[in-house]
Amino acid sequence: MKVRILRQQSPASAPYWEFFVYDGPVDNSVAGVLDYINYHDDIINADGKRTTRIGWECSCLQGICGACAMVINGRPALACETFLKDLKGAEIEIRPLRKFLVIHDLVVDRSSIQENLKQANMYIGEYQPAEDGDHGHQYAAAKCLKCGLCLEVCPNYVNGRTFFGAAFANDCYLVATRNRSKGGSVRALYAEHFGKTCSKSLSCMDVCPMKISTLASMAHLNKKSGNGKDA
Amino acid sequence: MKDVLIIGSGISGMACAVRCAARGVHVTLVSPFPSERSQSVMAAGGINAVLPGGEAGESVSSHVEDTLKGGCLLGGERAVTGLCEHGEEILRYLESIGTVFSVDGQGRPRRRAFGGQSHKRTYYCGASTGKQIVSALVMEARRFEAAGLIERRLWCCFHSALIRDGVCHGAMLFDEARGGLQVVCADAVVIATGGQNALFGKTTGSTQCDGYAAGKLFMQGAELKNLEFIQYHPTTMETQQKRMLISEAARGEGGRLFTRKDGRNVYFMEDKYGPGGNLMTRDVVSREIDALEGPAWLDLSFLDRAVIDERLPEVRDLCAKYAGIDVTREPIPVQPSVHFFMGGLAVHMNHETNIRNLFAIGECASMYHGANRIGGNSLLSAIYSGNIAAEEAAGRKGDSRHPDFSSDLERERNLLQRNMDTQSPFPVMYMRDMLAETMQKRLGIVRSEENLSQGLADIDYDLSVAERIRYDSSVMPYFNYSLTGILTLARATVTCALARRESRGAHYRSDYPEMDEAAGFATIISYDEGKYSVRLDKERAYES
Repeated sequence: MKVRILRQQSPASAPYWEFFVYDGPVDNSVAGVLDYINYHDDIINADGKRTTRIGWECSCLQGICGACAMVINGRPALACETFLKDLKGAEIEIRPLRKFLVIHDLVVDRSSIQENLKQANMYIGEYQPAEDGDHGHQYAAAKCLKCGLCLEVCPNYVNGRTFFGAAFANDCYLVATRNRSKGGSVRALYAEHFGKTCSKSLSCMDVCPMKISTLASMAHLNKKSGNGKDA
Repeated sequence: MKDVLIIGSGISGMACAVRCAARGVHVTLVSPFPSERSQSVMAAGGINAVLPGGEAGESVSSHVEDTLKGGCLLGGERAVTGLCEHGEEILRYLESIGTVFSVDGQGRPRRRAFGGQSHKRTYYCGASTGKQIVSALVMEARRFEAAGLIERRLWCCFHSALIRDGVCHGAMLFDEARGGLQVVCADAVVIATGGQNALFGKTTGSTQCDGYAAGKLFMQGAELKNLEFIQYHPTTMETQQKRMLISEAARGEGGRLFTRKDGRNVYFMEDKYGPGGNLMTRDVVSREIDALEGPAWLDLSFLDRAVIDERLPEVRDLCAKYAGIDVTREPIPVQPSVHFFMGGLAVHMNHETNIRNLFAIGECASMYHGANRIGGNSLLSAIYSGNIAAEEAAGRKGDSRHPDFSSDLERERNLLQRNMDTQSPFPVMYMRDMLAETMQKRLGIVRSEENLSQGLADIDYDLSVAERIRYDSSVMPYFNYSLTGILTLARATVTCALARRESRGAHYRSDYPEMDEAAGFATIISYDEGKYSVRLDKERAYES
């Protein structure tokens, strides 16, 4: 099986495609493929030439930390839970997330996700939970990995400077339901950085590894904001 | 103190950072990646606390007793009492920062049974308790980040501590983003880098936890404690890349272990230990599985579907995704795997090491769990230890005058540059894998002098190679310079296992199968210019 990887040695250098031949276990995940290619004294590409080890990020290898988010065959996904058996074609194409600065190969800088939340003061502060809170959705929303897959696929998210995307909306929901007194300010920020721009393609929900219903967060925040938007 | 440098941003590091910041102390919180990537998110089952309205007979003292008994009386009694007494306070705190606990019809946190416990006292968030706590703490830390009291530094790895005359003044960090080694001075340094998974390769934990910080600090004079006590979790599922943890919660909710003999299912834990057999402490269950002639399975299929869907959805999904197993219909093949390290940096009650102003918290520190940790106590101790270290640092007078470390920095920069400047890279990751193979083979569930001695010889060989090689320039410099520290920690671990000539908790010696009353003290190991010295802490110096 051929593996085509978009590589980049440093943030300032130009990206380039490199091919590898994968002859490892067929029940592997894409994370396993990357490990397999890297686990040799010499790393040889498909042209038979020595090359450098592929840079990629991993931690849990079981789909709950979000480190290995990348674009696999055109679809944003976690490498550790994308299996070869589920991929179509004889070639795999892997590239880094496109909406973030590439640090090295498949490693990207996703710090803008937290930075935006910090700039918006998106924290609970005084704990005053809403009495009619949807416990199930709060549990789901708090599982957000901040992996960036939702931002990668989003047609509205560009670079995070004005529109902050689904990860932001779900944290807005958590704060609004955990501190009633912040509801107004949170909804204003939500409207500014998400609500007024979101075109509701809901592709964020399709790729979310935690299957978070951003729509449920939106419904809650839109309903109470009285901004006339149809949830 | 005014400035605290915390290495590691998992639950323990964040708890410490938030507590310091709440006391007005400025925190630099260092980690290569954001907290969402930390091993803490993988803690599944729950957190122990004694709350009002518990089972009949439940009390803090029974929690203390279970913890001490589970740890075969090696956990310090005063420290364990402090831990258990703060369970309720910590649980309430976690609720107050928005942790989404599983709740009953009245909105009260639910609790479940966990191994080695006399009463149900493990409060949980489905089977993703660690993740829910991380999410809440990230948000709480954000509050202090916005106020300028917590400054996160990502893409940074620990290199070494800045120590002069037995006092720690900060740390040298390798900063990928800012290009290389840097000196960061602080009034105190808190190590919160988690366990030592990389020593064993495939474990239930994160690939990010490698034990390097403990190994390097050991080489710099910090003492280590109880390294031989390594917890094998009895129920893990093997996949191509790792061992997937099947949370103890699965047995807490009623899951049954069995093996097959002569065509029938044998519930070996229940047969030997009675109805509660499946929830014996992890060391006991792991040894029983290890001793089976055939494989073991964990059966959840008889449980009510709603119980699985509501309380164990993560277990259900994990098995379906990585093994194609429908737990409502078929059993899960399980085997023990390295899961938790009871040993680590030796710390006093205030979580300070033998080096002044150098603290250690969470899994990288050894304090509460003795020879075996009981389920639900790791999250509790992660937060409690972070709080203790924070209070100590905040209450202590700082000294902002630090020695000049510029010549140390220059020396280490030159060394790193010289080692990286090579055309014939030695594959350092390959060497890590060789070490993992050695440790899995020589430091398993059942140990012997012969096996451990061979392990020691193998690691000595690896160390002799590591000292001579140039670095692999195609991986991060961290993976290169960390190798010697990791190997040294591995050697210290095997040395401690050799020294403890008895069986206790997670340390089982086939050549010394009985517990030796005279050895009922913590193991302390120190390092001086390549010399490893082991002693029993008979004066209980670290229980002060």
